[in-house]
Amino acid sequence: MTDAAFSALASLGDPSLLIMLAIGVVAGLVIGLIPGLGGTGAVAILLPVTFGMEPEQALAMLIGALAVVHTSDTVAAVLLGAPGSASASVTMLDGYAMARKGQAKRALSLAFLSSMAGGLIGAVGLTVAIPLARPLVLSFGSPELFMLTILGVSLAAVLSRGNVVKGLTAGFLGLLLGLVGTSPTTAEERFTFGSLFLGDGVSLVAVALGIFGLAEIASRVGQRRVTEQPVSLEGGWGAGIREWLTHWTHVIRGALIGIWAGVLPGVGATAGTWLAYGQAVATAKDKRKFGKGDPRGIVGPESANNSVEAGDLIPTFLFGIPGGVPSAMLLGMLLTYGIQPGPAIVTEHLDLMYVIIWSFAIASVVGAFLCFLATPTLARLTKVPFAVLGPGLLVIMLLGAFQEGGQIGDLWVMVVLGAVGFFLKATGMPRAPFLIGFVLAIPMERYYYLTTNLYDGGGWMARPGVLVFAALLVGPLVWALVKKLRGASGAVDDGHRSELETDEPEGDELEGSMAGTRWSLAVAVVAVVLFAAALWVSGSFSDEAQLMPRLVSLCGLVAAGVLLWQERRGWREAHPTLPARVESLDDAVGGSVSGPASGSTLVATRVDARLEARQRDLVVAGRTFAAMAAFLVLVGLFGYLAATLVFVPVWLLYAARTTPRTAVVYTLVLGLVLLSLPSLLPVELPMGLLQ
Amino acid sequence: MTIVVAYADTAPGHAAVEAALDTPAAEGEPLVLVPAVRGEPVPDVAALVARWPRLAGRAEVARGDLGDPSDAVVQVAQRRGARLVVLGLRHRSPVGKMVFGSTAQRILLDATCPVLAVKPPPEAREA
Repeated sequence: MTDAAFSALASLGDPSLLIMLAIGVVAGLVIGLIPGLGGTGAVAILLPVTFGMEPEQALAMLIGALAVVHTSDTVAAVLLGAPGSASASVTMLDGYAMARKGQAKRALSLAFLSSMAGGLIGAVGLTVAIPLARPLVLSFGSPELFMLTILGVSLAAVLSRGNVVKGLTAGFLGLLLGLVGTSPTTAEERFTFGSLFLGDGVSLVAVALGIFGLAEIASRVGQRRVTEQPVSLEGGWGAGIREWLTHWTHVIRGALIGIWAGVLPGVGATAGTWLAYGQAVATAKDKRKFGKGDPRGIVGPESANNSVEAGDLIPTFLFGIPGGVPSAMLLGMLLTYGIQPGPAIVTEHLDLMYVIIWSFAIASVVGAFLCFLATPTLARLTKVPFAVLGPGLLVIMLLGAFQEGGQIGDLWVMVVLGAVGFFLKATGMPRAPFLIGFVLAIPMERYYYLTTNLYDGGGWMARPGVLVFAALLVGPLVWALVKKLRGASGAVDDGHRSELETDEPEGDELEGSMAGTRWSLAVAVVAVVLFAAALWVSGSFSDEAQLMPRLVSLCGLVAAGVLLWQERRGWREAHPTLPARVESLDDAVGGSVSGPASGSTLVATRVDARLEARQRDLVVAGRTFAAMAAFLVLVGLFGYLAATLVFVPVWLLYAARTTPRTAVVYTLVLGLVLLSLPSLLPVELPMGLLQ
Repeated sequence: MTIVVAYADTAPGHAAVEAALDTPAAEGEPLVLVPAVRGEPVPDVAALVARWPRLAGRAEVARGDLGDPSDAVVQVAQRRGARLVVLGLRHRSPVGKMVFGSTAQRILLDATCPVLAVKPPPEAREA
């Protein structure tokens, strides 16, 4: 065990690994500064670059980025009051307050050091998890692994913030999408409609980048520009560093909470960070300064959001169940290398595990150090409006999706899924269960066949491991049901501590903004139709191949049906009379603050403003997706480089309204990068028909 | 000095307001109402005064900077240097408390000043 650990450390002395790690760290820090990308964005953008590398190098780069994303996302939160990622919005509460009092450096040094410690403790947690989980993992047979895949998807669905039914529907949709392609047992093509392209299944990168990346671009391009001037970087670093030492207990507690939140599927960095904040508040005797610049409100959450990413990796590598979205993508990457996470990784690829751990630890330290050095310069990046970053990100993401299969079709899939992701996000459907379901669909089917072939009848269901997992599976569902019943019987208050702010912090204006409108009704209808169609189509498969699709589409049909019923009911409650006026037609119970319109003018104007914002969001997103489609058409005709050289300046001039000079320089730099990439990295540019 | 009331639009919450009003107080001593139920809209001072005329001139509504209602109540009490926190209790069995938690219990444990806990009158409890 220790041998493996130290040989892995020695292997990190290899310059090629160190270079990859360094590239990963720098990329992670930059991505962290850009609002809205976070860990998901970091892995998604870097993942395609790693195709063609050795697994060690690829992992060093990705882990390096993942470990530091949450170190630098604090900068925007503290200096601008606009969080770099959703999880940094917690740090914003106290960090921004502190910065406005002229103590920006104090806040940032507390945050960086806590991030570093959180990363290190996370790496230790990962190390400890291996010997602890090893005997357990090795005792697992295919029945347990099958149960684990189910548990992964359903826990992600239940624990994701918001509505359980929505989570389940999203999870089943993901599973269904994962089943597209050749069946692993009978080599039969499913849901491909005769297309050779779909026969390989849908590419993971295209799904992840579409559902998260493009959806994020579309929802943020129209965002209001940050008009506030950043707080100037004042105060001394030293004071913060000394102060940090006095809060070491909060650092450790935050990190442990983070690891635990990471281990649970579907509880991501955001929820973990809020838990840590709540814990810091709950244990503090003097609560006066929270929200007005209390160091404890920075230290715990910052430590937690870094350790979450380490915690996420524990179930991912040991059980093959991704704990979150970034690790779902890592899992997909490992599978493309032919490395099966789970039992195989602790027996055959232990060195790889330790490379990951060391990379995580080293990146955490180096990342924090770089943040101290570079913050004054990097802070400027946070002011760049998203509309300007959009085309560059789009070009890079689409190029990334092209690398996995080398097919333009993947890019179209990605844009379509981007639109799907936008609507999922806008209607408050959690997207993590979707992606986790997508990744786990094939393993689930494979384990199921192994299980039914190895055990006669239902004997496997009595295995102790299976029973334990079944209990874990049912527990949260019962819990959700009880809560629901209590809620229905009029007991409004569930007195458990929970920290999510009642008024959602800025940052994510779109998330769930269309819940309870006709749009979310439409999403439910589409889900029902999809599942019904899948059920119908799966009737034509052979017996073996149709089992999973049938099961998924049946369960999905039930979940989507319940969702539809909920939406209908919410609709009726919100509109007891005929919806005569537009605002009452479109507004419903879903809004976070104001309930059904009470008739007062205040509420009415607020509803109007929200309706307007929603219309604008939709228009901007529609335009963005149309622009993406136009770009793809250009790529299909003239090739990637030419299309970029036309598309980017047009976007910058007309959508982002930049000066011509910026547009030209931006385009040239991007063009040069695209030209030089193929010679630096194993990257290919899509060719056009006329090229 | 100040009195902080953990306010909720329920029988126990109303009982808390009345108990706070019955507490002997200096002339014009402020009564700060903090919403103690998650997701409930912030009560409107005018509506409250219409309901309890004795609140006129004394009532204020405050929300802390914390998401959890019990933390918010304690935070406001500490910031205002309150001499008393008044809260209403409702019936909750030990199992119910374990499963659903208790805002009241956390206020009782965390508050740094005396806490007056009151129960709604029996007829209100039935309703």
